[in-house]
Parts: sequence; structure tokens; C-alpha cells
Amino acid sequence: MTTLTDQIALADTRSVARRQGPSRGGDAVFRGAAYASALLVLLVLAGILGSILYGGWPAFREFGFGFLTSSAWNIGTEQYGALVAVIGTLASALLALVIGVPISLGIAIYLTQLCPGWARKPVGMTIELLAAVPSIIYGMWGLFIFAPLFARFVQVPVSNLVEGMPVVGTLFYARVPSGVGILTAGIILAIMIVPFVASIARDMLDQIPTILRESAYGIGCTTWEVVRHVLIPQASVSIIGAIMLGLGRALGETMAVTFVIGNANRLSASIFDPGSTIASRIANEFNEADGMQLNALMALGCILFLITFIVLIIARLLTRRAKVA
Amino acid sequence: MSNAAAIAAKGAVTQPAARAGANAGAPVRIAVKDLNFYYGQFHGLKNINLNFHDRQVTALIGPSGCGKSTLLRTFNRIYSLYPEQRAEGQILLDGENILDPKIDLNELRSRVGMVFQKPTPFPMSIYDNVAFGMRLYEKLPKSELDARVESALRKAALWDEVKDKLRQSGMGLSGGQQQRLCIARTVAQRPEVILFDEPTSALDPISTGRIEELIEQLRDEFTIAIVTHNMQQAARISQFTAFMYLGELIEFGQTNRIFMNPEKRQTQDYITGRFG
Repeated sequence: MTTLTDQIALADTRSVARRQGPSRGGDAVFRGAAYASALLVLLVLAGILGSILYGGWPAFREFGFGFLTSSAWNIGTEQYGALVAVIGTLASALLALVIGVPISLGIAIYLTQLCPGWARKPVGMTIELLAAVPSIIYGMWGLFIFAPLFARFVQVPVSNLVEGMPVVGTLFYARVPSGVGILTAGIILAIMIVPFVASIARDMLDQIPTILRESAYGIGCTTWEVVRHVLIPQASVSIIGAIMLGLGRALGETMAVTFVIGNANRLSASIFDPGSTIASRIANEFNEADGMQLNALMALGCILFLITFIVLIIARLLTRRAKVA
Repeated sequence: MSNAAAIAAKGAVTQPAARAGANAGAPVRIAVKDLNFYYGQFHGLKNINLNFHDRQVTALIGPSGCGKSTLLRTFNRIYSLYPEQRAEGQILLDGENILDPKIDLNELRSRVGMVFQKPTPFPMSIYDNVAFGMRLYEKLPKSELDARVESALRKAALWDEVKDKLRQSGMGLSGGQQQRLCIARTVAQRPEVILFDEPTSALDPISTGRIEELIEQLRDEFTIAIVTHNMQQAARISQFTAFMYLGELIEFGQTNRIFMNPEKRQTQDYITGRFG
């Protein structure tokens, strides 16, 4: 009898010591949970896209392709077109790139090539802190501080200077030098995208092997020649990717732009004149919109979604190809 | 392993095969005088005195960290890229002290070319890689540029392999080809001196053999200094050898003598493989 209990006890300890087989149930739950989390993102995305499409559909049906080409935005007569907002969005984002990208590259090149070692950290940190400033702060600062100064010291003198000249006389002439407008929005956006583009470009330049840089200096290049002919081309694809990420941000930025763009539904050839972007239009009108106006805003949202989506895809493709290469 | 090296490694006293034409009477191209080098506080090179003879290959050998690459990197002052590194003393290139702060570094580097441990083709076409250095310094008509590119590629024994794809990217070549492209790029500038910093350490044996042959040929035109970890390589291709240890120049002389009949105990120990 004792032997039997001993044996049982032995068997018990053995079964405890042995690793239990994978529990089917737990594993399935875990897998399901992970799967569901991943699926949820897709569902949310599809849901948002679907509902915006659904909301915007009446506007697309009513105005057809003309929605894209019409510059009307008349709440009284219920005539809506996206042209002004689309152009404002593209123009302000492009201006942001034109202003922001050279500065970003300058920062990245300074940090990786010219900056003394001790200054690298603090300067890099400052740049990254810029990215942490909430956009409402940029908007507020842009409207109350930057815009009046910009009007007084740039818009007025430049308008006086170029008045009557061909091309520049239109492009840089402010009918109402209030400080707000497409260019102001572009400048504020440039400040906002600089930290992104600069820090990615810096990382890409840092990844270039020292030996390549040394061999470029080794055949007698100046710093400018090394950067221009060797480093930038070497990192070019990823730098374009970084620029596209900045562009994606500039296209969708709402708050800061709404403050400084002037919110006018007017097509103007002057970058000093107020305009509006898709995001600022939506932010301005959503509160009181209903009926066809709401549908038109939803349709604007669809267009913005599409534009940023394409830009982000291009950015991803470019940065991914760079990593493989 | 070549005969010469095998014999050298055993410390036997037989005349090695390669290593023809050591000419101690050749004029001095680079004279290093009382050179001291510092990485911040670290004293990397200590009182180096050494001559490099015209159109001879001088090998710098020694265990890792002995300062041989550091010495090489003073000849084109590439170390100046790093503010914490500094050199004291004199390095006379054709009688002119290149450590002089007033020296034009870009011009110096066009006179003293350098080939690195790993191939470093620039992100441009094969043609542009070779023409790049020339374009920096000379405005050449297209026909002459073409001729110079071809001649440089021929000297680097690469012409036949790339003549039909000069417009393709230099990054698409094999490692050995890329290294020869880098040599062509250096040669194209018509420097006086070419520095090789372990040029074959990233290459397979066949590519290594090619580069070694190439260095032998380049000796007709250029003064060559080569850092190598590979003693057989030093024995095969150099006329003069400098053995360095812990930042000091232990022994310098004709490669024959260094390998056959070293004067210093440390040299003997290193070339027979007792340390390093």
C-alpha cells in the first residue's frame, strides 16, 4: 500500500515537472486578440473613408467633375466647388516645401558635417523640440505676432516695390496688406515641417559610411563639393522620402493654417493674398454646415484624404527602397 | 601564399622572388621629420622619422593600433577632418611642409591620392566617377576628358571590363572592380603619391592578386605608400618596409633586408608571427 501511494506521488510530481502542452484555448484567444487589434485599425480606416465618401457623395453627384474645377463656394445659392481650396492647399504646401526643404537640408548638413561635436546634441534637441510645439501655438503666434510684422516689413514694402511690374507685380502684390495669406501660411507650415525633414535627413546623412566621405575629401573636394556631389546623391532617395513626409504633414495641417491663411474663397495670383485650404475650409464651416454645404465639406475631405494618401504612399515607397539599397 | 612570403614567415635567409628593383638611391619624395600625432590626449605617433622614395612602394606594417594607418593619413591630412586630431613636426612633400596650416588642403589632396580599405564608388556613373576628380581641378574639353578617363581605366586594368557600360552606375560593379574604379579615379588626377590603406582587406584572393599586380605597375609612375596587415603582401609588392609598433617606428629599410635580416628583435618576432 505504501509503495502504491509512493508511486502515485511520484507520478504526480513527474506530471507537474513536465512542461504542459500548449493550451489550445489560451493560444487561440491570444491569436484572436492580436488579429482583432490589427483588424480594428483597418476597420476604423475603412469606416472613416466610407462614411466620408457617403457624406460627400451627394456633392459629387450634384456637381460631378465640375466640383473639382469650380471656384464657387456660395452658401446662398448652394453652389460649391473645390478649386480654391485645392489650389490653396497645394500652393501653401508647396511654398512650405520651397522654404522649408533648403533650411532642413542646411540644418542636416550642418549637424552632420560642420557642427563641432559638443554642439551637435543641443542643436539637434532644439530642432526636435520644434516638432513638439502644438500647432495651435504656431497658429496663434503666426496670427498675432508674425502676421502684423510680416505685413509691415514685407508685404507693404514689397507691394510698393513691385507694383505695376509684369508677373512679379501680380505674384507679390498685396491688395490688402493684412499679413495673412497663402505665403504666410506657407512660412508657418515651413517652420512646422522643418524639424521632421531635418531630423530624417540628418539620420540619412549620418548613415553614410565615413569612408565614403573621407574618400570624397581625399580627392580634393571642398565641403560643398562633397555634400553636393557625393553625400546628397547618396542619400537622395531617402531625402525625397523625408520631403514627402513633410509634404504630407503640410497638406493636412489645419489649426495653424486656419489662423493665418485669411480664409477667403477667392482665386488670386498673388501669394500675398488670403485664400483657404481644404483643412481650413472644413474647420471654419463645419459648425454651422448642413445640407449640401455639409456634403460639399465631406467631399472636400475625401479629396484631401486622397491627396495625403498618395503622398504618404510615395514617401513610404521611397524610404523603404532606400533602406533596401 | 607566395614563396617569398612563406620563406619570410619562416625567417629563412633566401632571396625572395618579387620585390624587384629596390632603389635606395631614388630621390626622396616624402620626408617625415620628428612627427608626433595626437588623438586628443592620446599620443598616437611618437617621433617618426622616415623617407619615402620616388617611384618605390613603401609598405607600413605592424600590429593593429600601431599607428601605420595614422601615419598614412597624415600624408594627405585627411585627419584634419577631425578637430581633435593633430600632428606636430614636419612632413616634407618635395621639400614643402604639408603640415603648414597655410597649405591648401584640396590642392594637397589632388597631389596625394588615397585608396581606402573598402571600395568607395561615388553615387554616379563609372565615367563620372573617374572624371569627377579631374573636373574639380581642370577644365578639359570633352575629347581630352574621354581620353584621360580611358587611360586611367586602362592603368587600373578595368577598361576592358567597363568600356561598354561607362554610363552605368559605379555601384553596380563587383567589389574588386569597384576598388579598381577607385584606383582609376585616383590615378586620373595624376597625383604624385598614392596612399593605399589596406586596399585589399575587403577583397577575395583573386581580386587581391589583381590589385597587387596593379600596384606593381603603378610604381612606374607614382610614389606609393601602402598600409597592410598582410606581411606576405608587403613582401610581394614593396621595395621598402617600415615596421611600426605602439606608435613608434621600430625599423625601416629595404623590404629584402627587413624580412631576411631584421635588426630589431620586435621586427623579427612580428614577421615570424610570434605576435601581432
